[in-house]
Amino acid sequence: MSELWTWVAIAGVTLSTFITRAGLLLLGERVRLPAIVDQALAYAPACALAAIVVPDLAIAGGEVRLDPGNFRLLGALAAAAVYVATRSFVATIAAGMAVFTALRLLA
Amino acid sequence: MTQTPGAVAPPPPAEPLRAAAFREGLRDMAPAVPGVFAWGLVTGVAMVQSGLTLWQALGLSAFAYAGSAQLAALPLLVGGSPVWVIFLTALMVNLRFVIYAAALRKPLGHLPWQRRLWLGYVTGDITFVIFMRRQQQAPDWPERDSYFLGLAMANWAAWHVASIAGILLAARIPLEWGLGLAGTLALVALLVPFCLRRAAAAGVVVAAIVSLLTHGWPLRTGLLAAIACGVTAALLAERFQGRRIGEGAA
Repeated sequence: MSELWTWVAIAGVTLSTFITRAGLLLLGERVRLPAIVDQALAYAPACALAAIVVPDLAIAGGEVRLDPGNFRLLGALAAAAVYVATRSFVATIAAGMAVFTALRLLA
Repeated sequence: MTQTPGAVAPPPPAEPLRAAAFREGLRDMAPAVPGVFAWGLVTGVAMVQSGLTLWQALGLSAFAYAGSAQLAALPLLVGGSPVWVIFLTALMVNLRFVIYAAALRKPLGHLPWQRRLWLGYVTGDITFVIFMRRQQQAPDWPERDSYFLGLAMANWAAWHVASIAGILLAARIPLEWGLGLAGTLALVALLVPFCLRRAAAAGVVVAAIVSLLTHGWPLRTGLLAAIACGVTAALLAERFQGRRIGEGAA
């Protein structure tokens, strides 16, 4: 991506921040959301995160790698387990990076 | 102090009260600051280690002010996805804020539009949760927007200091350490709580499978297909679950 387009994309991400956070606040109480939209809003972020995170972890060199040789995936599974156990953001990242780094150095 | 005759709105609160409410907001945010700091640091490091230049990373963080959307946009930015795919992806990840904004209309809707725009822009996850808790205790508190601003500005300051530190630090860390992974792990920590609710978990599983199946699609449009399938699956799961509960009660 060229330098200019990267900045256009950065402007796009910024615009998404304004639309989602301030949009309804600016429109006020006149706008009512239909029930189905309201429900979909609750699920979209989780689905978007999954659709970003899973390929980022499970695809290496253009192919799906769901095997123990994928250290990034193993690190993330350890991180998820630590999050369930501790609910600590810092512990989650530390555990995931520790497992990933240990496997990388031992391999 | 002058007062418009017949005005329904209460008179504007005195400045000292507003300043006190702002300070109270700063104080109430303090316990959350270490977490925000870690999140900003990780995002800053991940942006540079994934391949953004120093200025691009600083610009993205300064303007977008959205950790999860920034991290989600990162592989797309670096991989050269078209701008509209990046925009839609950021929009999807940010959609939870639409729910917050809908809830904030009642306590903050009376303010001038410039203030609503700014308070909306600086809303964070934790800011929202703490504010709504306080709001339930004292619904018609006149200085509530100053309190909100105090919470939000503590969050804002912690975030920017940490992410700038992360960006500057990242240039000194070797790429082999794979610290970009920390950004993805941060998203994992956001994703896991959703998976504990059954309908959302169904959506997450479907979105994950579709995202792997469609990975080869041009322009990463498979990402949008995965989100659409996931949301549909979650809505269907919710319907199905609701009906079963209904039958059980009958």
